[in-house]
Amino acid sequence: MSHAIETHDLGYRAGKHFEIRDLTLRVREGSIYGFLGPNGSGKTTTIRLLLGMLRPIKGAISVLGRKVPEEMARIMAQTGYVPERPHLYPYLTLEQAIRFHAAFYDGFDLPYAGELRRGFGLPLAQKLSHLSKGEMGKLHMLLVLAQRPELLVLDEPTDGLDPVVRRDVLSALLDFCSQGSATVFISSHLVHELERICDWVGVLDDGKLVVELPMQSFKNGIKRIRVAHAPSLVGDTPFVLLQRETAGLEQVWVVRGWQPPMVQWFEGAGAAVREIVDLDLEEGFVELLRSSRTPTS
Amino acid sequence: MYTQVLKAQWLAARLPVVLLTVLGFALPLLTVTYGGSLANAPTDRVAQWLYASQKIGVLIPGLALLVGLLLGIGAWAADHAGKHVYALSLPVPRPMYVLLRFAAGATLLAAPVAALGLGSLIAVLSVKLPSGIHAYPLQLTVRFALASLVCYAIFFAISIATRRAALAVLGVICGVVLADILISSLDLQAGAVVTGWLFNVLTTWPGPLAILMGRWALFDV
Repeated sequence: MSHAIETHDLGYRAGKHFEIRDLTLRVREGSIYGFLGPNGSGKTTTIRLLLGMLRPIKGAISVLGRKVPEEMARIMAQTGYVPERPHLYPYLTLEQAIRFHAAFYDGFDLPYAGELRRGFGLPLAQKLSHLSKGEMGKLHMLLVLAQRPELLVLDEPTDGLDPVVRRDVLSALLDFCSQGSATVFISSHLVHELERICDWVGVLDDGKLVVELPMQSFKNGIKRIRVAHAPSLVGDTPFVLLQRETAGLEQVWVVRGWQPPMVQWFEGAGAAVREIVDLDLEEGFVELLRSSRTPTS
Repeated sequence: MYTQVLKAQWLAARLPVVLLTVLGFALPLLTVTYGGSLANAPTDRVAQWLYASQKIGVLIPGLALLVGLLLGIGAWAADHAGKHVYALSLPVPRPMYVLLRFAAGATLLAAPVAALGLGSLIAVLSVKLPSGIHAYPLQLTVRFALASLVCYAIFFAISIATRRAALAVLGVICGVVLADILISSLDLQAGAVVTGWLFNVLTTWPGPLAILMGRWALFDV
């Protein structure tokens, strides 16, 4: 299986308090990879490292099989990037912005851009400085989709948009993905949004990758388990113990990588499983972050 | 690509470009108007023409400096505002993008240069000069074009850096001037040595601003 994005042991430091540590990412070709993390966890910095806008202090990055930053121009010719905040030139009209952008991409699909524009209801003669935040978000998505890229890197593309615009933008993205085999790398802190569209997920916290796994495993494998007579020392477990709290005579465990036969492990340790509760993605995400910040003994 | 960058740069800088073009057109005509009014005086007509030409002529390198300043800084204004994120995401090598921006800005210089050339030509054709006085419209235009290009290149290079770096450069220049003024006001022997030396380095060949110095006159002997 080849990877559209691959980083190895990546390190970056900005100031005294923020750093990306030993980041190893693998984004499969053709996947929709959700890059989750709380605000300030380093998602935007990671994306800027991937796109050669920042220089790492150590490690290696390859995007679409090419080295970053040596082959950036070729990489960017096949990559659509939606930044966290709009950076298009505000004095251009929508039409001028599309033509400006199109001039840099050989495969820019003007008819498709026109189709998307009509679908989004964007006024052609409007100056970008007069566009609303939602319209700007749509325009960014229009520009990168009409590039017909092999890789889409979207940095919080729907952050701050109302639900209607968010749905429009994500629908256009999914339509595009269904037409070909583009890889999508999308960062967000909106867990439910990624749950619907991603097939892989990576969680970043404080500059460190906490977990990277298929979305299905992430969704199904995190459980809250009520345990009676829980052992005081845990030792080797067939699952990953994220959190454990005492609640009266029982304990509540949050585990990852859960499979039903694992109940036997508790029985073998003299404990009894009273209840197993599925956590939704957001709860799982929160528990994952809590455990990464305060590791369980 | 170049056409689109030029178009974008024109849209961003059209107001200063139009104003500078009008000024470029007006300065040679002003020389003729001023010279004509002085030449009616009963004194030496040749001397009056030379005086008028020189008086207005000093404004022309000033205009070149202004053209370079406004277009050089304007070339990067939009990218600075967006922290260069959009420019860096475009699929062109960075030197190529810088070259595109530079070329587009340099193309916009053509408007004030052409206006000065046209104004000079009209000015020369509209006046009957006394014998001993010659007009140099082509030489003035070519010199103005080179001076504008040099100033544009300097300010383009300064403003390509971050705002902080550009401010640091300007801060150092202001600091040197202020220090020199202070030394002069204390009546020390070193008074005006630093700025004097710096000014000489910059304005004497091969200093980058040498082209702005000397006589700038549409009419000369």
